[in-house]
Amino acid sequence: MKRSLTKLLAMLFAFAMIAAACGGDSSDDGEESTDTTAAEETDASGDEADDDDDVAEAGEEAEGDVDTEVEASTGERAYGGDIAVGLEAEAVGLRPWEDTCSSPCYNMMITIYDKLTELTADGTYEPWLFETLEPNDDFTEWVGTLRSGVTFHNDVELTAQTVADMFVIQQTGAASAGALGSAFIADVQATGDLEVTYTLSQANSALPATLSRAPVGMVFDPAAAEADPDGYSTAPIGTGPFVIESRDLDNETVVVRNENYWGVDPEGNQLPFLDSISFRPIPDEGTRLDAVLSGTVQSMQTLRQGTIRDARAARDGGDEIELLEFQGNNVGGGQFNVLLAPYDDVRVRRGLTHMNSQENVIDALGGTGISLPGTQWFSPDSPWYSEKVAEAWPQFDFELGVSTLQEYVDDPERSDGKAAGEPIDVELSCPPDPTLIAAMQVLEQTWTASGLVNVELTNFDQQTHINYALGAENGFVGEHGAHCWRWSSDDDPSLGLNPHLAPPTAEIAEAAGIPEIVSPLNFPNWFDGDAFGAAAAAIQTDDFDERFALYESIMLQFAEEVPIWYSGHTATAFVNDPSIQGLIGWSTPSGVLGAGIPAVEGRWAEVWLAE
Amino acid sequence: MGRVLATRLARLAATLFAVTFLSFIMTSLLPGDPVNAILGVDAPRDEATVERIREELGLNDPLPVRYVNWLGNAATGDLGESYINRGQTVWGDTIVQRLPVTAQLAAMAIIIAVILAVPLGIIGAYRQGRWQDQTTSAGVQVALSVPNFITGIFLIWLFAVKLRWLPASNWNRISDKGIFENLKTAILPATALALTQMAIFSRLVRSDMIATLQENFVLSAKAKGLSDRYILFRHALRPSSLSLATIVGINFGALLGGTVVIETLFAIPGLGFRLINAINQRDILVIQGITVFVAVAYVLINTAVDLFYTVLDPRIRKS
Repeated sequence: MKRSLTKLLAMLFAFAMIAAACGGDSSDDGEESTDTTAAEETDASGDEADDDDDVAEAGEEAEGDVDTEVEASTGERAYGGDIAVGLEAEAVGLRPWEDTCSSPCYNMMITIYDKLTELTADGTYEPWLFETLEPNDDFTEWVGTLRSGVTFHNDVELTAQTVADMFVIQQTGAASAGALGSAFIADVQATGDLEVTYTLSQANSALPATLSRAPVGMVFDPAAAEADPDGYSTAPIGTGPFVIESRDLDNETVVVRNENYWGVDPEGNQLPFLDSISFRPIPDEGTRLDAVLSGTVQSMQTLRQGTIRDARAARDGGDEIELLEFQGNNVGGGQFNVLLAPYDDVRVRRGLTHMNSQENVIDALGGTGISLPGTQWFSPDSPWYSEKVAEAWPQFDFELGVSTLQEYVDDPERSDGKAAGEPIDVELSCPPDPTLIAAMQVLEQTWTASGLVNVELTNFDQQTHINYALGAENGFVGEHGAHCWRWSSDDDPSLGLNPHLAPPTAEIAEAAGIPEIVSPLNFPNWFDGDAFGAAAAAIQTDDFDERFALYESIMLQFAEEVPIWYSGHTATAFVNDPSIQGLIGWSTPSGVLGAGIPAVEGRWAEVWLAE
Repeated sequence: MGRVLATRLARLAATLFAVTFLSFIMTSLLPGDPVNAILGVDAPRDEATVERIREELGLNDPLPVRYVNWLGNAATGDLGESYINRGQTVWGDTIVQRLPVTAQLAAMAIIIAVILAVPLGIIGAYRQGRWQDQTTSAGVQVALSVPNFITGIFLIWLFAVKLRWLPASNWNRISDKGIFENLKTAILPATALALTQMAIFSRLVRSDMIATLQENFVLSAKAKGLSDRYILFRHALRPSSLSLATIVGINFGALLGGTVVIETLFAIPGLGFRLINAINQRDILVIQGITVFVAVAYVLINTAVDLFYTVLDPRIRKS
């Protein structure tokens, strides 16, 4: 009897340990269980699941879509305090001209460097270190006047010659050389003590957008950079509100208040408010959220819908955290390689896209009630968003998808060389992220359910995934079929669209009569002279209505030709301790309300800690 | 002794050649290009810049030339520079900087594991088949079955989120924040690593101890009327620790290269965290450097373990 009881207790202990361990997985486990459920819930027949309105129609606000409103900060500012911020990755370096910089990196760099211009809440650009920036009539020359009295962290004065000398370094910078080229910047000259003249090789009305991003727009000390280019990566010098104190790669980068910062907030308060910020890369989404919940860090960024869902659940469960949510233009989905059969036929692309149940895909991604389904490169709250495009986009309609695809399958002249009636072969590929795999399984099941598609699901790590799409080895055709991807940002549409629409290969460029223009970034390899022309025309004018019409025409062509398909817009968020104030409501030096937190890039100068 | 040493050195050289050659070939043949990681996939691409970077990094040279160049430099102690984190040397800025973190984690994990495993193993052996043995065996089975990242997630949830006793992530360096703050960031990941080790060690101690307790010298000690505790700790534990010493050494070496998951989970800037980032970014020289270092460390630790046998067991020394 005693022995049996002991055995029972031992077993209970073992089960308790397992249960405790599984229960302790606050987010990752949840992510996986949701994935499985989502995949299982996909109707194998391909019929749409009950319309329970969990996901809104395009153009409407989704239930639970609570983008935090961008409005000017209020409340009594307070000086002092140190915070730690959890980032999703480490920055490879902190040199704007050399090191590629995504969202985590921008959070750090923007504390150290000021930019020449800045994006505002209404999608326009305002001068920042420039006081004025004016184009000539045909947008081939821009003249900017810098603020006076601005100094770098090493007390070197900012002058027009600084910007001109930066240009020399930027011309060979790994990150900046391409950006200069795509903005057509041919020369930068100091035409006065504080006056800088940009000469462009072609008209570009969107130059202020280029000057708002790191590679060309962040201002560094060129003399110091030239003296020690490698050292600049760990000991960067800018004019920004914070000065680097230490950089412990993969662990912690600490910046402290720049006592001589030139900036003030709209109420005249000297910036910045905080004493120091410690940026900590925490790649695991669950751990990063736990770091906020445990007080290890006071703020974290996320670009994952599943994490936003978990953070909302924690908040609703009583944890004292605040979410600043932002759903911008960045949109996920996939791209067809239109140079390969069967994706070279629009019937295949349209058919497969009609069989893309965005509702179920978004659910698999953990984004139900968080992420809006995409129909274009712009989210419904973007000034570039078009209702006309939303209506034109091939929405989920399984039967229509089957009939469209059937036309191709029954075509004796079909491009893939198979006999009429045989199913098409599709390689659907994504990086091996659990939620992405779940989303792809939804597509796989729906496409397979048509009886017209053999789907091979493949997963490669990020670098391999990119390399297959880039196709440097085969003249940029790539080896991808149907390939997960993301597009767009809250920057000016030209920054993302123009390289996306240019001829993808030398042969196509030759045939189009523009042999000098080949864009490896046209990953779907879809080229259309009209769309390319519209993109080119859109940077020759600054008239918004005119530009809107041009971008709308491009998006309508996407809806017609379907080189890409969409899942949902990328939901992002900062999850903060409630004491963090002022992160979303910052302003430009001229008092114009800033863009908030697009791509979870925080502007930390105006952040303060509430009492 | 000289001959033994020469044999071992020859074996080490052969091992290193195989490890470096294979890892170089395998990582170089992976699809993906470090230039993409340097430029960023969405960044406007300037082909002249791409070509310049490839030339600077030697990526245009044939694979054998790249390997021979790397080997020649490595022989002089120069493991090169990171392709991605430009200016960061593989030896000074990567291995030397990160080894103390991983070594501390591994050492703490081993110490915690041994401290827990020895008593559990002894109890299991001493009370073989009884409830104490069955309970510890069940616990050990659970510890073996649960992956260390699950244990880590549970520890974060319990000690950081719920109890708020310890930080959830990152690393406090002793040089910056002192030993106490350092231990606060080290204890959870070390414990997560330790539990599996503990399970292995305790099973080993238990089985060795059971065999030792049946040896004649133990029976003789019992016949002399010595207490059980005295026999267990003075007579039986030492000869039962030979296998433990071996596995401790081997596992310490393995942990130097096997903390990838835990370091990533806890965002700890050790060798494992760096290695996984390097693999993702195709930072080939960093992958090479860390791989070679771990291989050397592994071989050296095993040699040290062999030498330690002679201290533990006089019979080996005499033979």
